Amino acid sequence: MTFSDDRPTMIEFKDVHKYYGDYHALRGINGTIKAGEFFSLLGPSGCGKTTLLRTIAGFEDISSGVVMIDGKDAAGMPANVRPTNMVFQSYAIFPHMSVAENVGFGLRKDPRSKEEKAKAVAEALEMVGLKGYGNRAAHALSGGQRQRVALARALILKPKVLLLDEPLSALDKKMREHMQVELIKLQRQVGITFILVTHDQEEALVMSDRIAVMFEGEIAQLADPETLYRRPATRKVADFIGTMNFIPAEILSEAGDKVEVDAKGLGRVALDISQAPAKTGETPVVGLRPETLTLLYDDQKPTERETDGVIDEVIYFGDMTYYDVYLGGTDVEVRLSMRNVPGRPVLDVGTKVRVAWSPSALVLFR
Amino acid sequence: MAQTPSSEARAGLKLISPTAIYVILLLAVPLATVLLYSVLTGGRGTVGLPLTGENYAELWSKPVYGYIMLKSLLVALTVTAITVLLAYPVAYFVSFHVKPERKSLWLFLITIPFWTSYIIRVSLWFVILGYGGVLDSTLASIGLPPLNVASYSILSIIIVLAHAYAPFAVLPIFVSLEKVDRSLLEAGQDLGESRWVTFLRVTLPLSMPGVIAATLIVFIPTVGDYVTPELVGDGKEPMIANLIETQLLKLRNFAQGSAFAVASMLMVGVVSLIFVLLNRRFIGGQK
Repeated sequence: MTFSDDRPTMIEFKDVHKYYGDYHALRGINGTIKAGEFFSLLGPSGCGKTTLLRTIAGFEDISSGVVMIDGKDAAGMPANVRPTNMVFQSYAIFPHMSVAENVGFGLRKDPRSKEEKAKAVAEALEMVGLKGYGNRAAHALSGGQRQRVALARALILKPKVLLLDEPLSALDKKMREHMQVELIKLQRQVGITFILVTHDQEEALVMSDRIAVMFEGEIAQLADPETLYRRPATRKVADFIGTMNFIPAEILSEAGDKVEVDAKGLGRVALDISQAPAKTGETPVVGLRPETLTLLYDDQKPTERETDGVIDEVIYFGDMTYYDVYLGGTDVEVRLSMRNVPGRPVLDVGTKVRVAWSPSALVLFR
Repeated sequence: MAQTPSSEARAGLKLISPTAIYVILLLAVPLATVLLYSVLTGGRGTVGLPLTGENYAELWSKPVYGYIMLKSLLVALTVTAITVLLAYPVAYFVSFHVKPERKSLWLFLITIPFWTSYIIRVSLWFVILGYGGVLDSTLASIGLPPLNVASYSILSIIIVLAHAYAPFAVLPIFVSLEKVDRSLLEAGQDLGESRWVTFLRVTLPLSMPGVIAATLIVFIPTVGDYVTPELVGDGKEPMIANLIETQLLKLRNFAQGSAFAVASMLMVGVVSLIFVLLNRRFIGGQK
């Protein structure tokens, strides 16, 4: 799952700052995006992810720092000469042109003959699944089709980097899931760097090789999806990506590569130092994902540790059931998820249960 | 609560009936009268039977009438071209470079000329363009010969009309520019075009409906403008409206005047139709 580090760098940010008047939109962005990578900028609205994308495209000047694109400093390089192309959130399809004219918009200066260009347009349309749509009026397209036109229009120019500004947010759920898979396939097919801006953590996890999680103009964590999910660097990242239970904990000792904590309702646990990301000065808590907790049925034996609990809430999802459980006679409530398989009845509120968990699934935030 | 479409239609008819009656009485009836008069036999202050095509024949027979009509058409087209060409940058500036909260102030300022009576504005142009006026005395002060623009009637008519109709042209162009999605311009640049080429390939075509609306709004009234040639040109350069006025009010030949009026309407109609068809081409490509 991890992205190979030996790939050449495509984009590099060096201490990038951006001010809008007094507003500090980007606060020292550092990081690299590799060639051929599917990279996501993930964060809540107003975190600066779109601003960062627009600095790559050349629509925003940065206040200080350096943005390098393919080894060249992008400062003073206007949008029209950058080796990047963008799929806009609104798709920005030219309403006065046909589908083919839209897709061929960027080919004006292309030295190829008219016939060759028309062929290239047809191929681009075929690649995005719109074969034969060339003569349609752009305004007669559905949302999903517009997005495909926007993709074809950008990809036909063979950019080094394709920028996608929340391209799926306007689509309905089914279409969105479908397009997620299509985009991944397309990226593998063309092999160029894709940079996706999204506020949807699930979308970022599904699609990306690596993800930069942004809050308030800063990158909180830059990692591959699995690391991000299993070893979030801060409590805020953990909270933003998926669901995580936070359990108050006390740090008993820290020696070598072991940290011993006393987590309320779970008891004493010895953690590996890799489970404790750098200190941020927060009150210590341990985090546990719902799926790492398991209800034990009848005489099932726990694989590692076991804690008593009482069910406080049952949320039935069809394939899954979520239980909110008070742990070990305390007021600490955790959410856990159980797959509904035969022989595993949905339990009632108030049932006393045994909860199995694994110390290796814990993350300590302090 | 739900109304049937027919009762809704009836309610709608009731609502528009005062306006409809007003329009029929003040527009359709006079128009029909003019059409009818134009084919009647005219005398001094009278019209009567039999029906005749003589009024139109008169129009064809004397080249001076054709000359005046052609001149009106050319003056109106020149005025329209100048007005729209000058209005476009103003509208573009207000739409693209004025902060959103300042736009209404700018539009308000653009309409300021309307606060003054047209006659006064025309008189003020004399002060600027006329013999010994502001323009010529400025030129004299830097050692240049006077232009005496006011003595060239057609040129003065064009200048005065172009100024008078400028706000009418700015507003529709402004509205069409406001509707241009700004991300389209970024897309144009993103796809490799400079700002200028993006303007030519995206902004300009998308604002064409506004340009054509402005063209019609300026062209139609300027063809039939009566006051400006009368005041600015001292009546030396009559336009079609002055011709109609002479026939109807001075010679009191209602039939002949009506024929001129119908001919002028046809001319405006044909030119407008061309613009409307052009407009449809541009609107046809859009939502």
